[in-house]
Amino acid sequence: MKKGFWQGAWKRLKKNRFAMAGLAVVCVLLFIAAAAPLIANSRPYIYIAEERVYFPLFFDYPELRERDLRSAEFSGFKIFPPVPYSYSEYDLDSIVLPPGPKHYLGTDEQGRDLAARMIHGTRISILVGFIAVLIYVSIGIVVGSLAGYYGGAVDLVVSRLIEIMMCFPTFFLILTILALWGPSLASVMVVIGITSWPGIARIVRGEFLRLKEGDYVMASRALGARDSWIIFRHILPNSLAPVLVSATFGIASTILTESSLSFLGFGVQPPTPSWGDILNQFRDFIDFAWWLTLIPGFAIFITITAYNLLGEGLQDALDPKSAGRK
Amino acid sequence: MKRYILKRLFLLVPTLIGITLITYMIVRFTPGDYTSLRLDMQMGLKTTAASKEILDQERRLYGLDKPWYVGYMDWLGKFCTLDFGTSRKDGRPVSERIGDALPITLALNLITMLIVYVISIPLGIAASVKKDSLFDRVSSLALFILYSLPTFWIALLLLMFLSSGEYLNLFPLGGITSDTMTGAGFFPLAGDAAWHLVLPVITLTYGSFAFLSRYTRANMLEVINQQYITTARSKGLSEPRVIMVHAFRNSLIPLITLMATLLPGLLGGSVIVESIFSIPGMGMLAFEAILARDIPVIMAIEAISALLTLGGILIADLSYALVDPRIRLETKI
Repeated sequence: MKKGFWQGAWKRLKKNRFAMAGLAVVCVLLFIAAAAPLIANSRPYIYIAEERVYFPLFFDYPELRERDLRSAEFSGFKIFPPVPYSYSEYDLDSIVLPPGPKHYLGTDEQGRDLAARMIHGTRISILVGFIAVLIYVSIGIVVGSLAGYYGGAVDLVVSRLIEIMMCFPTFFLILTILALWGPSLASVMVVIGITSWPGIARIVRGEFLRLKEGDYVMASRALGARDSWIIFRHILPNSLAPVLVSATFGIASTILTESSLSFLGFGVQPPTPSWGDILNQFRDFIDFAWWLTLIPGFAIFITITAYNLLGEGLQDALDPKSAGRK
Repeated sequence: MKRYILKRLFLLVPTLIGITLITYMIVRFTPGDYTSLRLDMQMGLKTTAASKEILDQERRLYGLDKPWYVGYMDWLGKFCTLDFGTSRKDGRPVSERIGDALPITLALNLITMLIVYVISIPLGIAASVKKDSLFDRVSSLALFILYSLPTFWIALLLLMFLSSGEYLNLFPLGGITSDTMTGAGFFPLAGDAAWHLVLPVITLTYGSFAFLSRYTRANMLEVINQQYITTARSKGLSEPRVIMVHAFRNSLIPLITLMATLLPGLLGGSVIVESIFSIPGMGMLAFEAILARDIPVIMAIEAISALLTLGGILIADLSYALVDPRIRLETKI
């Protein structure tokens, strides 16, 4: 029966063109993130000198270390990645260049290739999105199911905790903790993770309150099942659909939070490329270097839209009743 | 009803303690001695007599020389008498700085909320009445796209294209008044302020349309399927009357309570918008405090905005209970 539910949802999702477009974009982003070093790298995949074959991108050769294989000095046969620059290398001879044949998306004030930085920035966005959401969904599920299942004093405590966390201005709270404790990739993920769980906890709590009255739970209890069996085997699987929807929207908003933090300088620290940080560094060039503003912002926008469309689609697919009402 | 209110108020106590405790803990358990760290870093001062005095004063304020629970109680006691200490940046009392900033942010957020409600509620109603029509789909897609546009990006683009001088120079770069306007009459001043607020208000509003109008639409659809709507129609009432009087009024309740939950978002979002447009409100005060590690200001803003939000939630809960008897009969919170 469970299988049938997810299959039915997938079938409904497939019919939703916007959701599928979102899913496609998400897949492309995942691919770019996974393959970033292969797409943008200053070292060639393959380099054939007179007497031997090198694979500089994959292996380390002492004689080629610290050498720029793009220069004419290395004359053999070379195949470079589509973007033959690494994200951190700078070239002070070509600063703030507009997009052109050499640098597809232009360069920044230090002559770093924007395309390479954007591609590697994808990793950061996706990574932060997934890990932070994973952290807070886990917390939310644990806290929410305890409150919903046991009720009483546990519920009272958890509900107060949820209320407390919901009162804080989340973005400012995250900003404060990062400013005081030191911003880094890991701390961004952890801090977003530990401050954003109340939404999930509320959903899970509500689902548990609703589901624990179900006949199958009663039956299971009558047969002598333990609490953990009922929670993990019966109630939790049935309450996952709204969590999945909320987590998908959560990835979108986490990516937005990360880029906003990096934009303010309290997110991922340079030289690690992040879309928000690229936007931040070029506020001074805003008058003329349009590509340094338009491109990273557009990337953030597309990513957020994709996840939101997917979330919308999931919502309709997983809850046919609400889709019918619309 | 009295019982419900009492219970609700009683439950506030642990929440209030939690909010203030978390605020205190964040500062208290910052790695390293943040007080000395901050002075060395920002002012490049060695611990001179003057800075030592400031340090001691702050240590006293947060009770860093005492166990955390004593320190917390002391801090809480001062907090309750609105003594938030003095700002490290300019030595003014924090309450005074907040007093300057709060009206600006409140005004900005009130304008924003007003515009959001005025635009998105009719949009939501129209979409629900013409469900699945072309209008419904186009408007929902357009709002969806607006919703997904990152605020800081739009703010930068608006500045770049509309007020940088490079492209169009229609609006001022930031601030809320022009320097040249001092001493002008009320109307020129108000006009000048309005002119300054156009871009920030656009940035603050556009993303909220989607949420509220979809919310309105969903609520309306729920109500429209109720039997009393069918009754109203079969009585021969005109369609506008059915929609506006019978349906819309019944979908109003969640909309009102929603206002309270929008408050923290508006305050949090304004950190970015206010600092980009240099509006001297709470958001910019907060961000400047963070940049300068101005702990007294940070703590005060954190706690005050949490308390304001709590107040909002409380009002929402109570007004919900007031209009919907089912809630107070259940007394389940």
